[in-house]
Amino acid sequence: MDRGSDAQKYVWEGAIPLQIHLHESEVTTLPPPPPALILAPRIGYLPLLVPQIKPFFSSALPPGTDTVWFEYKGLPLKWYIPTGVLFDLLCPEPERPWNLTVHFRGYPGNILTPCEGEDSVKWSFINSLKEAAYIINGNCKNVMNMSQSDQVELWRSVMNGGSQQFKVVGDNAISGNLETYIRVSSKLKLGVGGDEFSVKLNSPSSKTQRSIVETDTSGSVKTGRIPVRLYVCNVHDDFEDLEDAPHVDSWDKIAYINRPIEIHREEFFAEKNSISEEMPQAEVEDEQKSSSGDGSGLGTVEEVRETLREHVELCSLPDNAEIKLLRIQGIQPKLETPFAWLANNLMNPERFLHICAYVRVPEPITI
Amino acid sequence: MASESSTTARRVVVHLRATGDAPILKQAKFKIAGTDKFAKVIDFLCRQLHRETLFVYLNSAFSPNPDELVIDLYNNFGFDGKLVVNYACSMAWG
Repeated sequence: MDRGSDAQKYVWEGAIPLQIHLHESEVTTLPPPPPALILAPRIGYLPLLVPQIKPFFSSALPPGTDTVWFEYKGLPLKWYIPTGVLFDLLCPEPERPWNLTVHFRGYPGNILTPCEGEDSVKWSFINSLKEAAYIINGNCKNVMNMSQSDQVELWRSVMNGGSQQFKVVGDNAISGNLETYIRVSSKLKLGVGGDEFSVKLNSPSSKTQRSIVETDTSGSVKTGRIPVRLYVCNVHDDFEDLEDAPHVDSWDKIAYINRPIEIHREEFFAEKNSISEEMPQAEVEDEQKSSSGDGSGLGTVEEVRETLREHVELCSLPDNAEIKLLRIQGIQPKLETPFAWLANNLMNPERFLHICAYVRVPEPITI
Repeated sequence: MASESSTTARRVVVHLRATGDAPILKQAKFKIAGTDKFAKVIDFLCRQLHRETLFVYLNSAFSPNPDELVIDLYNNFGFDGKLVVNYACSMAWG
């Protein structure tokens, strides 16, 4: 049974401790209810926690129907972004526990798209999965042809996320959530190639693709496209300490980029994995140039920086833009890390790799 | 075609296609600013068809997040110079 790699296990079990306060405008009892303490799976979504949270506050709520939304320091939280990503993006200095405010009334329809509980989250998840499948395969037949029971199992394994729910029947342990997820999702064949670095637990090491690439002299290079969601927070002032990082008070401050990243396997094995740290020197090569075998280092985190650089150029920002912080699943990855490894091990269940970055662009000096 | 690095509003051609029993629009091709969100396309469709809810898909495959920018969707999923958007009154590609 494929239990996934060590890294996948850590990601799956990762959780953020939350301290959830009911917004004062909705408190009708004296004394006000104490905050709820909840461990939220990183790969999960905030609306899925509502059934756990509601009992803490139901007696204090004013009459009316519930329209639940969360907020951090005044910023309404987008519910379709995984909890871990929200934390990495909005809390440069990790706050433990993370203090959030929950509202049961007054949904800010002008900022947030509507959410009707688990169904909305499931719909968003399946569509993201289809989008990832489309990016990787050019179509999403594999997701649409999933059997009903597979679909149910897949969603359930994600919903239950990090909790270690093992059921023992007789002498056999029925698989925990990660195994279920891997079993169902492997049928979708959405894996990313070019990664020989992941060590799988309890399974024979797979034949690497290196031999296939070396003997392939026909010139056609297999490329892997990795779905990536890149969240860039533009800041103006420099900060050394993460505590001093400016607080995000509006989603306008965050540029969200959704673009596939191509990996050319041939170059990946030809290139060394080390790259230089200075972003301005990273060359932006478009896809046509790369496929001619120029040997650009597309297989590493440098590609991410290139994409960031493209974004920076698109916004006509100056060359001295500087990446202050780059976070994936709460980790700041070493730049030498092969990108394929990152994609295979740190992606979310909907097969997207979420990357949060703080980019500093100094304000022009007024004379 | 405006170059990628231009920040002036680059407009994207959107081709709206009816699916199932959804009414067909007289005018099916529209231009929208790339910097607008996909939610604007959905809203526009709802108003044109006088419906509260519609199921809107890209390339007959999946429903993108309404917060996505049209230009990103076009860059990723557009072809032949346009973005094909399918709409239906009931769930088409569940």
